[in-house]
Amino acid sequence: MSGSKALSRFHQPISVPGRRLIHNVPLKFVVKKAVGGGSRAVNQEIPLIPFIDFLLCIVCFLLASFSASGELPVDKNVHLPKAENVLDMTEAPMVAITGTQILVDGTAAGSTRTIEDANRMQRIDELFTILKNKRELWKQVNPGKEFPGVAVLQVDKRVTALVVKSVFQTAAMSGYPSISFMVGRLGKNE
Amino acid sequence: MAGIDVGGGHGGKRALNMDIPLIPFIDFLLCLVAFLLVTAVWSQMARINADAKVPGPPRPDEPDEIKPEKELHVEMRGERKFQLVWKEGATVINTIDVERKAVNVGNEGDVTFPALAEKVVSEWKNNGNHRASNDKKFDRAVLHTDNSTPFSDVIAVIDAVYAPQREFTLGVKTDKVPAFNLTFAVN
Repeated sequence: MSGSKALSRFHQPISVPGRRLIHNVPLKFVVKKAVGGGSRAVNQEIPLIPFIDFLLCIVCFLLASFSASGELPVDKNVHLPKAENVLDMTEAPMVAITGTQILVDGTAAGSTRTIEDANRMQRIDELFTILKNKRELWKQVNPGKEFPGVAVLQVDKRVTALVVKSVFQTAAMSGYPSISFMVGRLGKNE
Repeated sequence: MAGIDVGGGHGGKRALNMDIPLIPFIDFLLCLVAFLLVTAVWSQMARINADAKVPGPPRPDEPDEIKPEKELHVEMRGERKFQLVWKEGATVINTIDVERKAVNVGNEGDVTFPALAEKVVSEWKNNGNHRASNDKKFDRAVLHTDNSTPFSDVIAVIDAVYAPQREFTLGVKTDKVPAFNLTFAVN
């Protein structure tokens, strides 16, 4: 009987082994954390090196396509036509025809009314003077260089051919024989 | 964080281990990306070239008699058809009629003339004079248009005239450029 006495002296219920700390805290989320709950670890390492590689790729791409000259100023009243067989834009004096106004780099350079009233091609004196002055200025700034003679016409799609031809002829007479018409780029599939 | 370990740092010397400050580096990169995105030009603008036939200053080596070259005159005054006329000086060599069939593109009222473009391409293949990539001269096209024609139609016809393309070498660079150089007829 001495054996059974000893057993009763050290009698303890058998319990499942495991974590015991913070079990008494009466908050479910604390207990859940302490036990582990079998869920995945919440902490995550951000993979910084691929992230930096990705950023560097973006920087390289954006630097390659960066243009210091900025966007070309297009008057919001001008609706440009679209074309497929086009060339890239170039820097040149910009002659805009918006409604009845003719502008050279944003400065008023005549009206289309006189041409429409006369109903025949004619030289626009104000435009002629401004373009001629621009050409003289270019020659003074770049002595010894050949003048490119390029001007860009920004013409609304509703403007009549008579006005376009008059502006074209005036620009040619003032020393700009190579005229480019600004257009929207039309995709090959459109 | 990322670091460089080259050993050392013992015996009272300065530690040689360095931590690269990744977070400021990432911040810097993000700022750069933001700046470049804001200043990026996503322009769809392009140009279509036209030349005014302006005589240059006289040159001492200029020949006395210049042989007139073939020119393609594009007549767009008709309502139902275009007329392509090959001329050598005042002499008419050939006249071709092309149906004026406009095809709408987009929803902003733009049109193209694919039939005209196709015909101009075949005409240039048969009659074009300047084909070599090192040839500095271009075949000339002259556009005859009515005074009341809207500019969108004029551009559509110029676009069709520029459909035939040839190689053009300038220096070491070779590009594909329109085979014709277009100008406007005065009358």
